[in-house]
Amino acid sequence: MDNIVFSIGITALAGALAAVAGAAENVESDIGSQGDPNSQVQLAPQMGYIHRIYNKAIAGEPPAWGLWIALGAGIAWAFMAMQINPILAIVLGAGLATFVQGVYSTTAYLGRTASLSKFGQPVYIDIIKSMTTVTMAHAFVAIFATVTLCHLMNAALGHPFPLPLLGLVWGIALGAAGSATGNPYYGKERQYQTQNFGAGVPISASGNIVRYAEAGERNSLDNGFFTAKLGGAAAGVCFGLIVFLELWRTVLFEKIGAGWGAIIVGVIIILVFTVIDRFIEVWARKNYGPYTKPEETSS
Amino acid sequence: MSALGGAKPAGGSTGIAPIPAIISLVIFVIIFALMYRLGTPLAMTALIGIVIGGLLIGFGVHFVPVGGAPAAMGQAPGIATGVAMLAAGGGLAGLFGGAWAASQGTLVAVVTGAIGGGLMLAITCFFVNFVYIYGMGIPAASGKVKKDPITGDTQPEYKSQGTEGHGLPFVSFVGGVIGGLLGGAGGTLIYLMLLDVYQATLPGVMKATAVQIAPVAVSLAGMFAIGIFLVIAVLAAYNITGTIEGPHDPKFKRFPRALIASAVASALCGVAAILLVMV
Amino acid sequence: MSVKIEVIEGGIPHQKILIAGLVLAVIGLYLSYLNVIVGTQIFAFFGGLAAIAALIWGSHTIKILASYGIGTGVPSAGMIAFGSGVIAFLFATKFGLYAPIVAIILAAVIGAILGYLANEVLAMHIPVMIKSLTEMAVVGALTLMGFSAMISGSFTFSALTTGSTKVLGMSLPSYQTSYIGGALIATVFLLGAIAIQHGFNACLGPGWKQDRMLMLTAECGFLSMMVAAVMSAALISPAAAILSFIIGLLGWYYTYMKYIELSKRDAAAWLDMKPIPEVEGH
Repeated sequence: MDNIVFSIGITALAGALAAVAGAAENVESDIGSQGDPNSQVQLAPQMGYIHRIYNKAIAGEPPAWGLWIALGAGIAWAFMAMQINPILAIVLGAGLATFVQGVYSTTAYLGRTASLSKFGQPVYIDIIKSMTTVTMAHAFVAIFATVTLCHLMNAALGHPFPLPLLGLVWGIALGAAGSATGNPYYGKERQYQTQNFGAGVPISASGNIVRYAEAGERNSLDNGFFTAKLGGAAAGVCFGLIVFLELWRTVLFEKIGAGWGAIIVGVIIILVFTVIDRFIEVWARKNYGPYTKPEETSS
Repeated sequence: MSALGGAKPAGGSTGIAPIPAIISLVIFVIIFALMYRLGTPLAMTALIGIVIGGLLIGFGVHFVPVGGAPAAMGQAPGIATGVAMLAAGGGLAGLFGGAWAASQGTLVAVVTGAIGGGLMLAITCFFVNFVYIYGMGIPAASGKVKKDPITGDTQPEYKSQGTEGHGLPFVSFVGGVIGGLLGGAGGTLIYLMLLDVYQATLPGVMKATAVQIAPVAVSLAGMFAIGIFLVIAVLAAYNITGTIEGPHDPKFKRFPRALIASAVASALCGVAAILLVMV
Repeated sequence: MSVKIEVIEGGIPHQKILIAGLVLAVIGLYLSYLNVIVGTQIFAFFGGLAAIAALIWGSHTIKILASYGIGTGVPSAGMIAFGSGVIAFLFATKFGLYAPIVAIILAAVIGAILGYLANEVLAMHIPVMIKSLTEMAVVGALTLMGFSAMISGSFTFSALTTGSTKVLGMSLPSYQTSYIGGALIATVFLLGAIAIQHGFNACLGPGWKQDRMLMLTAECGFLSMMVAAVMSAALISPAAAILSFIIGLLGWYYTYMKYIELSKRDAAAWLDMKPIPEVEGH
């Protein structure tokens, strides 16, 4: 019984860490402008819209986060193998992984921007200086939280995978969940703030991203302020729920029915999410109604 | 042997060039013949399991609704990220669960892995719709079909001006969950098959006890499973050129040729993974 | 919505990069094998240099393949390269001294078959597909082998799976504290998979320049070498790990500065705290 209580505590802690990691991951990628919305930041100068937004094209979020987490986990593993205290080892691992993330960010911005010289997009050194550090801070939070939860899975819950392998698995999952949830909010709602609310961005408007702020020129930190409020929180809850429910159903119900208990609970959870999803889909159709098809041109 | 069964009807359907399909089949048979000559019955079973796992992954990727970059602007339906990596995110989360349940038998572990993948994608897909609806005020609409094949909801009038649709209509949501289930099951199956082989043979190869080699067996099987998973996911992503709306998308009909490619690729990678500890 | 990628002529021809990368990688791997011959671990850093040579070659291959627009983005190419490379690499480790040669041959076979599947069965019909996937699988296998040799001191199966732990001052053999037993290979897998694609992914666009891209890939390689050296401290002697780290650090500093210089050369303007230019220059 004590064992189960202990495991549930670890599960809750892992879920909480995952929520923090998901939120930090999303804000990091929005400030850095990583992932699919970055296609617009890349496109804008070609359409004549010179901007001061970061352009951190490292890879899609899932492989990039796979690397940061696996790297943090690998270094932490190595330090633990050298008999260093796990907490210190994880901090050092997350720190070094953050350094690598920062270097990759700067080279990605310089490379992409220099290749846009034909369209007159200048390299802004102050963007590198002020924004890279902020993304690194968020990256550190996300890496530390995720490596810690991987360590908990391995050391406290007894998962057979070694730490770096868990880092790879959960890093890719973190990037996948964070980018899936957060990208539309940053891509549509923030970059195309001037477009009609409650509708997708017309393809004809592509590249016309918002470049000016309430005062002065918009930079990526403004994007971070905005997306942290919904996109970041949603990504955090999303990744937190994934980790928490996955561990919870295993820890609590694995013993029931020789493993089938956890499976049945998993099926029930999937069905619950399906029903909620269907509910909000119908809710949106009813409340927002169809778009009137003819006339009304927006650009 | 379901691998051969899977490849057969594929040969007749449209979109498959017959000669490459036959050559693939020949490569496939050669790999199995090689395995039969060199390996033990255990290895043969493992290879069949790996091929089935590969087919599940290759098929599963076609279900995952991914819109790529346009989806991030609400210009196209689907999830706004890369298809290979989203499938990997779900599949590897499934592999995590499956590997945990490995001691409870192959069937339970594979189903656990499937549920893990399905759970990850169900939550992710739900949050995609949540952000679209409550964050951006945009209802879900498909660009490829007039009616949602599952719910019968009409789609075109919910598509905003100048876009191809947005969000995840119910059929895409279900597709995502199915994709996660198949990916998780496939990844776990590959892992379990390789783990069996390594646990049986590594003590002899490394002259150590089964307990001592356990971490090596787990890591090797895990790494091979991830490698095979990524190879097949990328191949399947090539097949749908990076984006798909789900099972109702016309591109979905291309899946037979992806099954051929998945079968050959998983057999090829699987044979190398097994022969590492044999011969 | 990605940029139209044009095939840019000029610069060093691909054939030269291919041969240089392959030869240097193999030489580097065999120099790291001096460890086994001399009975030391100090030559581990040659593995890292071999991996960097392979990565530079691989990034140029990715550039050629991606010029055709493969539809799934540049990073997926790195994933398939290392997914197939890791299989060839692990299989080859059992052949001891011949491991690099076996890895090259097996990776080439796997890559060629995957390329054939993609091109003919999946009907992609990209002229360079088979050749590119073959090259990339070889690059993946060589990169993994190079970093593995650097971290664990050697690229043989027994060296990769056996480590040692110190318990009360005594050194005991341990399989858990080994390169594969601890799954450090997962970290190296992603280090390589991101490094191989970053050079091209970060430099693509109308102003793409070959020297800048290759310099960036070398920078990614040395950066990976630095962190790999930190991880190697757990498995090889401190002196060897520190030597690898210092070489990685020096190489990284040089290539990073050089890369910034090249970016400065190619950028439209190099501004600090300046607003968006009033007159749009195009």
